[in-house]
Amino acid sequence: MKNGFRQSMAWLHTWSGLVVGWVLFAVFLTGSVSYFRPEISLWMRPELHDAAAGTRAAEMIIAGMQRRAPDAPSWIILMPSARNPVADVFWREEGPNASRRGFQQVQLDPRTGEGLAARATAGGDFFYAFHFQLFGLPIPLARWIVSVCAMFMLVAIVSGIVTHRRIFADFFTFRPRKGQRSWLDGHAALATLALPYHLMITYTGLITLIALTMPWPILTNFQGDRTAYIAAVFGINERAPRSGRTAPLTPVGPLVAEATARWGGGTIGRILVTNPGDAAATITFQQQDGDRLSVSRRTITFNGVTGAVIATREPEGPADATRGVMYGLHVGRFGGGVMRALFFVSALMGSAMVATGAILWAVKRRQKAGGGAGARLVEILNVGTIAGLPAAMAVYLLANRLLPPGMAGRAAWEVYCFFIAWLLMLLHPLLRSHRRAWQEQLWAGALLLLAVPVVNALTTHSHLGMTLPAGRWDIAGVDLACLGFAVLLGCSAWMVRHPATATPRRRTAQAVAAE
Amino acid sequence: MTVLSFALAYIGFSTLCVAMERHHGEVFGTRRIPPRRQITLRVAGWLLLAASFPVVITQWGWSFGPVAWCGMLTLAALPIVLLLPWRPRLVLWLAPAACMLGILAAWG
Amino acid sequence: MALTWNPLEARRIGGIVSRSMAAIFGGYAVAALASIALARLGGRVEGALAGMMAGYAIHTAAVIWVFAVRTALRAWIGLAAAAGSFAAMFFLLGHAA
Repeated sequence: MKNGFRQSMAWLHTWSGLVVGWVLFAVFLTGSVSYFRPEISLWMRPELHDAAAGTRAAEMIIAGMQRRAPDAPSWIILMPSARNPVADVFWREEGPNASRRGFQQVQLDPRTGEGLAARATAGGDFFYAFHFQLFGLPIPLARWIVSVCAMFMLVAIVSGIVTHRRIFADFFTFRPRKGQRSWLDGHAALATLALPYHLMITYTGLITLIALTMPWPILTNFQGDRTAYIAAVFGINERAPRSGRTAPLTPVGPLVAEATARWGGGTIGRILVTNPGDAAATITFQQQDGDRLSVSRRTITFNGVTGAVIATREPEGPADATRGVMYGLHVGRFGGGVMRALFFVSALMGSAMVATGAILWAVKRRQKAGGGAGARLVEILNVGTIAGLPAAMAVYLLANRLLPPGMAGRAAWEVYCFFIAWLLMLLHPLLRSHRRAWQEQLWAGALLLLAVPVVNALTTHSHLGMTLPAGRWDIAGVDLACLGFAVLLGCSAWMVRHPATATPRRRTAQAVAAE
Repeated sequence: MTVLSFALAYIGFSTLCVAMERHHGEVFGTRRIPPRRQITLRVAGWLLLAASFPVVITQWGWSFGPVAWCGMLTLAALPIVLLLPWRPRLVLWLAPAACMLGILAAWG
Repeated sequence: MALTWNPLEARRIGGIVSRSMAAIFGGYAVAALASIALARLGGRVEGALAGMMAGYAIHTAAVIWVFAVRTALRAWIGLAAAAGSFAAMFFLLGHAA
């Protein structure tokens, strides 16, 4: 077929990367910001900026849930942490008033156990969920799509390594202002400098969805019994039915102390209460992610009435530990701020790697063939996604500040604003020449990102003038990041205005393209 | 400690970088490198990179450490790639600066 | 742009399509069979997890291999052989357990 192994790999690299490149860019970029999901969620709830978790959070939250949903089959409580001052609680509602999927959710203030008085918003969870299950599609389908794209990405990385002949010799090579050569250098540098990260994040990303996409061993080893699989791997046992005999839930304080002691000082990340108020109640604690590299579940289950320990689950053998480590590496919740910064930089480089790859293809194609529908489509998608998506993300944050706090359905509307902005960015290049489209969108993105801290200052008290002196880096970080990326986009827009020096032949083609 | 490790990695990378003819030319003006100097630079560069690893491990432990080390290597190589096209000499001058920073960080 | 049926071009595109099918679907089949075969090796939980995680490594390797071999036919034959081996491994380990 192709002359040579390397050439086949080059072909494979180009097509596996290009076909799903724009989905991959969106997944990579929303994934990058998801490292700061709690911070973004907090920024988007300015009413909570003074909240802080108390020491008796577990007791207050459970007391609050006993008032709120005493007859629910179970409560799933995501405990507050240093980065996230609120508790998320999920429970299933039964009966005629049950909502669509039967799940209810509320955010509780851990100091009181009562609901939060904060504006309705999806917060950083929107970017996080979009990153692996997109939006608006049936969840299994969306996750399959993302998995397939991730698989293409893995193939692209491996074939890229094979194709990049001078991977060591060209390690530091970057020659700007030379047109196509510069795009290739940039693409290769972004890929090579963070290669361990890119391989790790792609493979571990696939692993997080294997229960959906590679479920066959569950069929053979567990006879298809997913509940048994979940119990074995995650320590969540199936809920026993209610006995019908009421019994008060045992005080949680001593249980927390026991769990912490057993774990040598670990913190509780999740609490699962089944059959509250019933004699068959159980309380399960899961250890907090971020205490360790592995996310392999460490759980303790207590009898909900007597407080006796029923079961514990420690990470099992090597495969279980490996799965935990892989998942832990992917979500990157460990290691604190420095680690997160390192991951974030590498992730941004990954996003830029995908972007430069797509741009390189368009530049090459335009020079060789001068145009054509395929090249035009790629160019439009490039502008609309690479410049358009950051602009849409800025619009999401702006909508959070500009939509009235009391407005009905505002959480959904923030998300709609995001998609409307992105759609406009995808349509805009149809009306403009390629160079103009890039310039205008990059400038638009820069202005929108710049607007975020400004609008923040105009609409809330949590702006940079207040948060920086107070040392609230978690809130100020979002404003500062928007400023930083605004500068980045602005510089890019400026560089588009001043094209690289090109040979006369190329300049003609570019001039034609630029109109 | 992280700063020391970063400094070691940066100096290691810049050493390996100028051991390559093309980049030697960009920084020093001549592509010709005496063979003995090239070997010395290469060995020194790899040793410095290797030295940055245990420093990271002592601070982060064996669990988080290897992960942090990879991220830190990326961060250390990045300035070199960005500076070479525009201010290649700066790559050279940053090396003693990194050295001092590293020593200060280690003893501070 | 007139569409002329160039037989050489047609064969090349046919080869690409064939390989892509082999890589995506054939590769996945091999990975799935490998995952259940490997799942027999460890304990119930350990084996399942190991098999599932190995699945994607095997799929990736299969894709690379399919595009590296000389002809599309060889790719299909190779995948069939791999699939057969893993299937055999699965059944043999099943009887041994």
